[in-house]
Amino acid sequence: MNDDLSHRHSAFRFYGSWLEFARIAFPNLLLTIVTLGIYRFWATTREREYLWSKTEFIDERLEWTGKGIELFVGFVMAFLLIGLPLIVIQLISQGLIFRGEAILAGVITLMMFLLLFYLTGVAYFRALRYRLSRTYWRGIRGGSDDPGLQYGLAYMWKSVVGWLPIFLGVPWSMISLWNDRWNAMSFGPHRFSATAEWKPLMKRYLLFYLVPFLLFMGAVVFGISMAASGGTSDALGSTGIAIGAIFAIIAVLSLYIFLPLAALAYYSKYFRLAVGGLRLHNLEFDFRARAPDWILFFLANMAIVICTLGIGYIFMPYRNWKFFIDHMEAYGEINIDDLTQSETVVAKHGEGLLDAFDVGAI
Amino acid sequence: MSAFFDAWHYDGKNAVRRKVEVQIIGRQFFLLETEQRHGPFAFSDVEYVTRKDDADVYGLKAADGWRLMLSGPVPSDLSAMLPARRNYGGWVDRLGFGKAAVAFTLASAAAVAIVLLSPQWLAPLIPDSVDEKLGDALVGDFGGRFCSTPAGDAALKKLVASLDANPDDLQVEVAKIDMVNAVALPGGKVILFDGLVKQARSPDEVAGVLAHEIGHVREKHVMQALLRQMGLAVVLGGIDGNSGALVNNMLSMSYSRESEAEADAHSMKALGGANISPIGTASFFDRLSKMDGSANSGTSDNDIAGYMSSHPLSRSRKDAFEKSIVKGKNYKPALTPAEWTELKTMCTQDRNAKSGFGFDFN
Ligand SMILES: [Zn+2]
Repeated sequence: MNDDLSHRHSAFRFYGSWLEFARIAFPNLLLTIVTLGIYRFWATTREREYLWSKTEFIDERLEWTGKGIELFVGFVMAFLLIGLPLIVIQLISQGLIFRGEAILAGVITLMMFLLLFYLTGVAYFRALRYRLSRTYWRGIRGGSDDPGLQYGLAYMWKSVVGWLPIFLGVPWSMISLWNDRWNAMSFGPHRFSATAEWKPLMKRYLLFYLVPFLLFMGAVVFGISMAASGGTSDALGSTGIAIGAIFAIIAVLSLYIFLPLAALAYYSKYFRLAVGGLRLHNLEFDFRARAPDWILFFLANMAIVICTLGIGYIFMPYRNWKFFIDHMEAYGEINIDDLTQSETVVAKHGEGLLDAFDVGAI
Repeated sequence: MSAFFDAWHYDGKNAVRRKVEVQIIGRQFFLLETEQRHGPFAFSDVEYVTRKDDADVYGLKAADGWRLMLSGPVPSDLSAMLPARRNYGGWVDRLGFGKAAVAFTLASAAAVAIVLLSPQWLAPLIPDSVDEKLGDALVGDFGGRFCSTPAGDAALKKLVASLDANPDDLQVEVAKIDMVNAVALPGGKVILFDGLVKQARSPDEVAGVLAHEIGHVREKHVMQALLRQMGLAVVLGGIDGNSGALVNNMLSMSYSRESEAEADAHSMKALGGANISPIGTASFFDRLSKMDGSANSGTSDNDIAGYMSSHPLSRSRKDAFEKSIVKGKNYKPALTPAEWTELKTMCTQDRNAKSGFGFDFN
């Protein structure tokens, strides 16, 4: 039994409705408030159960089988293994400063920072692994046998190497880490292969990178020309200053407008390249959202949150998932008989580390 | 006894979708395909997985990916054997949404109340040795910043003895730090900063501040605050970063106000017992509150900001000390002029004490 995907519109389809989601999100919000936040692990699980079950891949819905208790246990573990030691270390280093041992305190603080840095990388990895291992399609799940400890090291050195040449290596480190992460993952019997390239990303990155410089240069040039024209007569001078002030305001505003736009344009290209480099056996993937789609999506999200005085925030998981699935595309074919069960281990705890650091998944 | 119902089945070994009939035999069942029979499976091993569009999805304990999907009306003899649907998660489904919300609210309120109120009677239960060890760990010799001269020490000792009945379990020191501040720390440690002593116009002022800090020690405020902070960190740990920290700060702030008022009351009582006029302390607060009002008008005395940040200041504190003056009472100065000079110049005389500071602490 083979499924040829080439004739279909898209292999991924989302059938959810925000009204149905609201019936999950509002009770979730209430329960989360009255439990001082503890219910949020079960809330997240319910939302994912809904979103996954409304997502069709080819001819079957996805299933989310993660449990609230897994996320809760993960959170408690992160608190005990990281939160408490951090508090103790902070107390100790404060005591050391009191005793005048500022250098030792500095060393301890630096070690603490490095440990957190490492764990952030591990957390990214494990979040992806957890999500794949809890996602079923036709009774088959994904996962990874790699605990992500190596990835934590790669995350550290590749990030640093990306920052060193005045942040010009960031696209390389982002793509390279994406490939590292996905190459360790599998679905059913098949390993993912991630071969995204970073070079095509540089142009977009430079655009984002240069925006502050261009704005600054523009402001300087404009300021000089204004000063020059203002110097000719007193009457012109005052209007010159006024116009200069207006342009200074515009420059500041555009820093807040152009910079996020350039960042979105970069991210859209990054995500397109990253997903485009992904393969699973005979399947290839594609992400079709382009920069204008991302910008509209982002603006709509802002409008929803602002117009609802923040309540709209609870719809963001729905909006994000819908945007993701609506633009996902897969080509190739799947041999259903060969798609056997994954033999990867299933970690018992959820995204505890990730939750503690509050980073996104994909 | 046997009965047949149509259903979809994944065996979890590969991704083939199987149309099956469910054959019930007592507490077990078989799944019948045209040429194959799967089972027997025990109903006691069946778990509810999720709701997938129009179907309820069931799994089987210890059979990864095994799925039985039932859609449409399920006959009563089958549904009686199947586990209940899960909606919100265990407890909430058992209690019902409304009851669970009320129960959670009450439990949360109780948890917060315990965390806020229990430190008041928990703190005195903590052995003095723990208190002392904590204080030593935090302060040590304060990086060699404590000042000491024979005459200065004697003056300080006299001052402490006049203000407290058990001066032996207090360790009061003057630190060579040019800041108008004083702190109470665990283990009966009180540190007066030299800046505060130097700017005081009379020993009575120092006596009032010292008695205030001794009040913090005697009321176990430091240990209370520490316990309360730890408790709040645990209870509010479930709430997302910012809002949790905000609630935490507001709650601890209201308690720190209460502690300040208690320490002030203790100070007035101690001054009364020692026959020291509270007018000095009142004028100290008066000077501070004037700084408060015109802090930005170019006064060079920035040190005063230190005391204000840790001790929220108001005119009412000055008024309270003024009101505690008993007319006609025969007040005497806290120290003789000679003793006062010794105390004031102690840090200037002690050339071994290190100066400066590298922290801000209250
Ligand atoms: Zn105080």
